[in-house]
Amino acid sequence: MLGKYQGSGRSGAFDWYFQRISGIALVIGLFVHFIVLHFMTEPPLNYAKVMARLSSPLWKAFDIVFLVFAVYHALNGFKMIIDDYVHGPSIRSFLIGTLWVVAIVFFVIGFLTIVSL
Amino acid sequence: MAKTVTFTIFRYDPERDKRPYYKNYKVEVRRPGMMVLDGLNQIRWEQDGTLAYRRSCREGVCGSDGLNINGVNMLSCITHIEDLKEPIVIQPLPSLPVIKDLVVDFTDFFSKYYIVKPYLITKTPPPSDRERLQSPEDRKKLDGLYECILCACCSTSCPSFWADPDYLGPAALLKAWRFIADSRDEGSDERLEIVNDRHGVWRCHTILNCIEACPKQLNPTEAIANLKKAIVQRKF
Repeated sequence: MLGKYQGSGRSGAFDWYFQRISGIALVIGLFVHFIVLHFMTEPPLNYAKVMARLSSPLWKAFDIVFLVFAVYHALNGFKMIIDDYVHGPSIRSFLIGTLWVVAIVFFVIGFLTIVSL
Repeated sequence: MAKTVTFTIFRYDPERDKRPYYKNYKVEVRRPGMMVLDGLNQIRWEQDGTLAYRRSCREGVCGSDGLNINGVNMLSCITHIEDLKEPIVIQPLPSLPVIKDLVVDFTDFFSKYYIVKPYLITKTPPPSDRERLQSPEDRKKLDGLYECILCACCSTSCPSFWADPDYLGPAALLKAWRFIADSRDEGSDERLEIVNDRHGVWRCHTILNCIEACPKQLNPTEAIANLKKAIVQRKF
C-alpha cells in the first residue's frame, strides 16, 4: 500500500507553494493598480490618461506578469478541487488536460489584449 | 423517578437490515455526571442486548469508543450526558464502513497510520552504555503530539478524508510529525517523502474539524502545517 504514496512525480508541493506565492503577487499587483489609478493619476481621471499609461512598455510587462499569476492561481485552484474530488485516472487526465487548454486560451487572449493596447 | 433522556441511535445489522435506521431509547440519568457510555451500557444491559458498540477503558485512554454524537466526533466515555442537547443522536464515526450499529471497520485507518512509519527510525548506533537521551527542551517539543490515542475522531471528521479515499488523514499525519519533531529520530527524509504526496499533506485545507473533534485537545492541523513547511523548505 505504501507504493501508492511514493514516486508519483508531481506531489503537490509546487502547486501548494506557488498558489500562495501567486496569491500574494495578485494582492500586491491589484493594490499597485488601485493606488496608481486612484491616488497617483492627476485628476480628472479619463480614458486617454489610463490608456497612455497602460500602453507604455513597462506597464505592459507588469500586466503580463500579473496575467501569468492570475491564470496560474485560478486554474491551479481548479486543479486542487480536481485533486480533492476526482480520483479516476482517465477522468483526471481529461479534466487536467481541459484546464491546460483553458489556461493557454485565457493567457493568449489576455496577452494579445495587453500587447495591442 | 430519575430524569430520562432520549438517545437516538444509528442501528444497522448488515445480515438482517436492508438499510440503516434510527431507534430511540430512554436512558435514566440515575446519578450526576453520567457519561454517554454509561447510557449506552444501560441500554445494552437493560433494554436491548443487540446494540453493538466498542468500549474498553471507559476513561478516555484506550480510544475505542469514538462516536459521532450530535454531529461532532467525540469519545462517549468522557462526554457528559447533561452537556448534550436532546435528543442525543449517536452515529458511528463517519466515512468508515459500518460493521454493525456503532462499530466501524478501522482497517483503512490503521493501514494509513502504518504508512507514515509510526516508530522511531535510527541510523546511528545507540550509545553503548545507556539509552538514547533527549534534553528536557527537546522532549517538550513532543507535547501535544505524543498523546494521540488513535480513536480516529479527527480523521473521520475531516471532509478531505471523506472526499479522497486515499488521503492519509490528520491522525496519521500528526503521528508523522510526532516522529519528525523527535530529536532522537533519523527518519525525517523518508517520512517527508511519503507525506509529500497528492494524497498526503496537500489534501489538508485547514478546515480545522480535526481540532474540534480531538478528545485529547491536540492540534493535527498545526502538525500538518509544520509538515508542509518542512517540505517546502527542503524543496524551494
